[in-house]
Amino acid sequence: MDVYILPVIFIALFIYCVIKRINTYDTFVKGAKGAIKLVVDIFPFIACILIAVALLRVSGITDFLASLLAPIFRALGIPPELVELVLLRPFTGSGSYGILENIFTTYGADSYISRCACVIMGCSETIFYVATVYISQTKVKKLLYAIPVALLCSLVGTILACLICKVM
Amino acid sequence: MMLASMLVLLIVNPGAVLSEMISASTDALSLCIELCAVYAVWLGIMELVDASGLGEKLAKLLRPLIKKIFKVEDEQTQKLIALNVSANMLGLGNAATPMGIRSMQALDDGSGKANFAMIMLIVVNATSIQLLPTTVIGLRAAAGSTNPSDIILPTIIVTFITTVMGILLVHTINKLFKHKKRA
Repeated sequence: MDVYILPVIFIALFIYCVIKRINTYDTFVKGAKGAIKLVVDIFPFIACILIAVALLRVSGITDFLASLLAPIFRALGIPPELVELVLLRPFTGSGSYGILENIFTTYGADSYISRCACVIMGCSETIFYVATVYISQTKVKKLLYAIPVALLCSLVGTILACLICKVM
Repeated sequence: MMLASMLVLLIVNPGAVLSEMISASTDALSLCIELCAVYAVWLGIMELVDASGLGEKLAKLLRPLIKKIFKVEDEQTQKLIALNVSANMLGLGNAATPMGIRSMQALDDGSGKANFAMIMLIVVNATSIQLLPTTVIGLRAAAGSTNPSDIILPTIIVTFITTVMGILLVHTINKLFKHKKRA
């Protein structure tokens, strides 16, 4: 079912544009043109955050943090198997998808751990990545309380995800 | 953060520092090329949505909500936020990004500090209400799950709760800040 949703929306949109007598080709090209400039503008920020994450991982700091935080997570009801995912999720999208696949192969796609991991992925975002990229084209240097609030919500989401997967 | 990792690496494995940085930068470049392709498709689609007046309609639909949550009066900005939020709901994080960047530019007041609406946009994006976690379901199906979409409902419930919580928190903190300034 899911696979039909986007194509149907796209076709409906094109038909609607034709009815409205819009030059679809020119309009599409005009929009698509903006992509290259946008990517060139945000590349340095993406590079910087990926380098920072890579250094964190190879230096072993994440493993160290994971072992340090495992008891706290356990107290919050988060299984220790998910600590690495929870720690890296705010930084990297592709990296956390890698960890998710790892969890699938290690514990089985239908296990409690895997289902928790899925819900955690769904209810959280790569917070640092999003914040960096979003404000990269503005003059903003101070995000005030945005990051702490976002992280707190993610943590609550993680705890809820582990709870809800027990009953559903 | 980078400095701390480098210091640790200096002790553990000094040879890895430069090679790791370059390999991460290479990852960033290939990610950007991928993103460029994705953005080209989505920005093209969005231009159509915009030109056909559908963007306006969507914004009108979501306007009362956006006005209340973000306290934004400018109509163009409301439209950008509406598109960003709807893309997020469909699980299209990469489609949401260009709209998010543009919303931020529109909201920027040049003071160097994030204002209320900007903080709200980051928090709402971070808790990302998701109706269709498409990528996760795809990965899970590929891993041999018998019922890959049974995580949809729990995901919706959790994102709904965290998003509402995020919005309320930002509102409360904003009020506290204002209170302090007056006092």
